[in-house]
Amino acid sequence: MKKIKVKVNGKEYVKDIPEYKTLLDFLREDLFLTGTKRGCGAGECGACTVILNGRAVNSCLVLAVECDGAEIKTIEGEGENGKLSPLQEAFQHHHAVQCGFCTPGMVMSARSLLDRVPHPTEEEIKEAIEGNFCRCTGYKQIVEAIIDASRGGS
Amino acid sequence: MLRKFNYLSPTTEEELLKFLAKHMGKAKLLAGGTNLFVDMRSDLLKPEYVIDIKKVPGVKEIKFLSRVGLSIGPGVTCNELIECKAVEEKYPLLIAAAKELASYQIRNRATVAGNICYASPAADMAPALLILGAKVKIASIAGEDIIPLKDFFKGVKKTLLQPEEFVKALIIPEDYSFMKALYKKSKRVKGHDLSIVSVAMGRIKGFYRIAIGSCGPTPVLLEEIPVTVELKEIISKALKAISPIDDLRGSADYRRNMVEVYIKRIHQELGGKN
Repeated sequence: MKKIKVKVNGKEYVKDIPEYKTLLDFLREDLFLTGTKRGCGAGECGACTVILNGRAVNSCLVLAVECDGAEIKTIEGEGENGKLSPLQEAFQHHHAVQCGFCTPGMVMSARSLLDRVPHPTEEEIKEAIEGNFCRCTGYKQIVEAIIDASRGGS
Repeated sequence: MLRKFNYLSPTTEEELLKFLAKHMGKAKLLAGGTNLFVDMRSDLLKPEYVIDIKKVPGVKEIKFLSRVGLSIGPGVTCNELIECKAVEEKYPLLIAAAKELASYQIRNRATVAGNICYASPAADMAPALLILGAKVKIASIAGEDIIPLKDFFKGVKKTLLQPEEFVKALIIPEDYSFMKALYKKSKRVKGHDLSIVSVAMGRIKGFYRIAIGSCGPTPVLLEEIPVTVELKEIISKALKAISPIDDLRGSADYRRNMVEVYIKRIHQELGGKN
């Protein structure tokens, strides 16, 4: 067991965790932040995408112990005061959600893109969500939602 | 859930080398973890110890010095390489290759050195680093050694690296801002996928340099070819150097055909005639 201190969605946590626990399992099982989804467990599908120290990562391929001292943002930290963020509203408005399983990862990848490129091109958006699979194949609406959010609409 | 292991996080190079010497054969090094954890989850690897190198000073360093060239620490991720100004100015080929490697999220963890140490025949960084004359700086408790990258690969996922050693840096001794070079990769989908065939080809001081990925047990670097050599002859040399197989991503014939197509295309884009 190792003690780690992390800041998740602005809140500090100090926890004892086994060394072999992934960041994904830590978020879901220890912090009960189940918005982050487990898909393939191998870095292919992107359902577990979170933002670690400002960078989008697959949380299934990161150990929780590697995150000691880190700042993490998950889908639960995207909206504020119980309200959806403009990006989430854009997803809703464009029906960019079918079964919803890929959505938290998609939103986190989009958030990470908009944080570094506020007005991305369509090509840049497609590249940014390349590592996120949607098996309902609603990619078009997802891209439209991100374009819309980047223009400040919803 | 991963199988149990002991996590070690050395904070000096000395400590790292001691851990490696002590747990020889029972430990795996952790940099980005994007290959390691996948192989551990599928039980291909069952290390007793996982040694995280990221807290060792200097591992995240990427810098260009005029006498030494470009030095890439073993903790430098693909995206950190892509964002590095010196790389953009002097080694744009590395950026082109890194952008082809997996997805954005993976590139935020996966390291350039890890891609080389994993030694997949499909490693995206390998062909580019090979034609740039990269060298591998290896350290162990016994000392340091520098060897050419082309001698580092020994087979599918096999390298010269011994259990007590670690890659301290990848070094490109020369400034290649004047080299024209391109990287082409074929894959099954437009999104992230391993390569079926990859070719890096550059033109420098009257010679072509060509390296080919996914067409043999290791990435292949050809001998330099004078630019005066006919295209037909260049292709024939490349096809002789490779030994592709049929696998789930493509057939050996398809791979040979694509090597020819890519060399023709790059040759033309580099201004080659005939």
